[in-house]
Amino acid sequence: MSSQNKTIRTLFTVAAVLIAIAFAVVLLYAPPEQTMGLVQKVFYFHMASAWLGMLAFLCAAAFGILYLSKKELRWDRFEASSVEIGLIFTLVTNFSGMIWAKAAWNTWWTWDPRLITMTIMAFTYIAYLLLRRGMDDPAKRAQFGAIYALIGFITVPMTFFSARYLRTIHPILFGAGAEKMALSPEMVQTMMVSLVAFTVLFVALLLYRERLMAAEEQLSALESAQEDFDA
Amino acid sequence: MMQWLRAVKTLIWKDLVQEWRSRDVITAMFSFAVLSIFIFNYAMELAPANRNEIAAGIIWVVMLFSGTLGLNRAFSAEQDQGCFDGLSLAVPDLSVIYVAKMLSNFLMMVIIVILVVPLYSVLYNHSLFHSGFIGVLLLGAWGYAAAGTLIAGMTVQTRMRDLLLPILLFPVLMPLNMAVVKAAGGFLTGMPYTQFSIWLPMLLVYDIIMSTLGFMVFNYVISE
Repeated sequence: MSSQNKTIRTLFTVAAVLIAIAFAVVLLYAPPEQTMGLVQKVFYFHMASAWLGMLAFLCAAAFGILYLSKKELRWDRFEASSVEIGLIFTLVTNFSGMIWAKAAWNTWWTWDPRLITMTIMAFTYIAYLLLRRGMDDPAKRAQFGAIYALIGFITVPMTFFSARYLRTIHPILFGAGAEKMALSPEMVQTMMVSLVAFTVLFVALLLYRERLMAAEEQLSALESAQEDFDA
Repeated sequence: MMQWLRAVKTLIWKDLVQEWRSRDVITAMFSFAVLSIFIFNYAMELAPANRNEIAAGIIWVVMLFSGTLGLNRAFSAEQDQGCFDGLSLAVPDLSVIYVAKMLSNFLMMVIIVILVVPLYSVLYNHSLFHSGFIGVLLLGAWGYAAAGTLIAGMTVQTRMRDLLLPILLFPVLMPLNMAVVKAAGGFLTGMPYTQFSIWLPMLLVYDIIMSTLGFMVFNYVISE
C-alpha cells in the first residue's frame, strides 16, 4: 500500500509540474494564430482533454474485457474509474470547445456532426454510471458495467471519425483532410507538451480513483460484517 | 448445430405464441406508433413539399419509440417468473436465448414496419413503398433488435428497469440512427446514390458489430 501511495504521489507531482510547464508554453512559447488570435490557445487544452477522454474510454473497454475474462473486481474498479475520468474530460472538451466556438464561429453551439457525436458519447457514459447505480450485487454490477463499456465504445470511433468522413465545419488538423489548416512547428511542440501532461495526469487520477474505490469496498464489507456481528 | 437451430426455433415460437395469445405488446406498440404519427402531424407542419425529406425521420423515430415498449416487455416474463434459470438449463447453449430473443424482437419491429408504412402512405396520400427505403428500415430494425435485446436483458435486472432502457439504448444507437435516417431519406427523395453512399455500409457494419457483440457477451448477461 505504501509503495502504491508513493507511486501515486510521484505521478501527481510530475503531472502538476508538466501541466505548469504546459501552461507556460501555451502562454509564452506558442505563437498567436494568424486569424483567430489569442482564443486559439484554448485548442491546446481542448485537444488534450479530447484525447484524454477517448483514451480513458478505450481503457474502460479494455478493462471491461479483462474483467470478463479474469473476473477480478480490480479490473472493474479500473474500468469505472476510467469512465469517470473520461466523462469529466469529455465535458471539459465540450465546454472549452464552446469558448472557442463563440469566438471563431460566433455561436456557443452549432449542430455539427462532431459536436453531436461528442455529446452523445458523453451521454453514453452518463448512462454507464446510471446503470452501475441501479445495481446492488457487486459481481453483477461489474459484469453489466463491462458489457456496457464494450457496447458504449462504439460511440468513440464514431466521434473520432465524424469530422473526417461527414460534412463538418470542425477543424481537422492531422492526417487526411488536414490540408486546410496547418500548425506551425512551435504549435505542434506546444500541443505535444500538453498531451504528455494530460496523459500523466490520467494515469495518476486512474490509480488514485481505483485505490479510493478499493477502500470504499473494504469499508462497506467491514460495515456489513459489523451489522452481521450486531445482529 | 441442428439441436441449436431447433432450440432457437422453439424459443421464437414460444415468444410468438405467448404474444399471439394476449396480443398486448403488439397492440400497445401499434397504438403508440399511430398516436406518435398524429402528434407529429400537429407538432410539425407536414406540408406536401417537404414530406419526403421528413418522412424517413418520422417513420424511424416512431419505430424507435414504439420499439422500446416491446423491448421493455421482452424479458419481463422471464424475469418475473424466475424463468431465466429454467431457460438457461433447458437450452444447449446460452447464445440460443440471445439469438431467439433478438429474432423475435426483430419480428416485432418488422410487424410495426408492415403496419406503419402503409398507414402513413394512406394518411398522407403519399406512397412510401420504395424497395430501398423498406430495405433500410429492415436493416435498421435488425441493428435495433441486436443492440436492444442485449441492453434490455441487462436493464430488466436493475432497480430502475423500464426507466433505464432508453437512457442506455439511445446513445449506443447513434451511428444506426444517423445511417438509417440519411440512407432512408436518400432513397425516398430519389437522391443520386453517391450522395449518401457512406451510410449503407455503415448500417451494415453496425448490424454486424452489434449482432456479434450480443452473441458473444449475452451469456454474461444471464449467468452469474
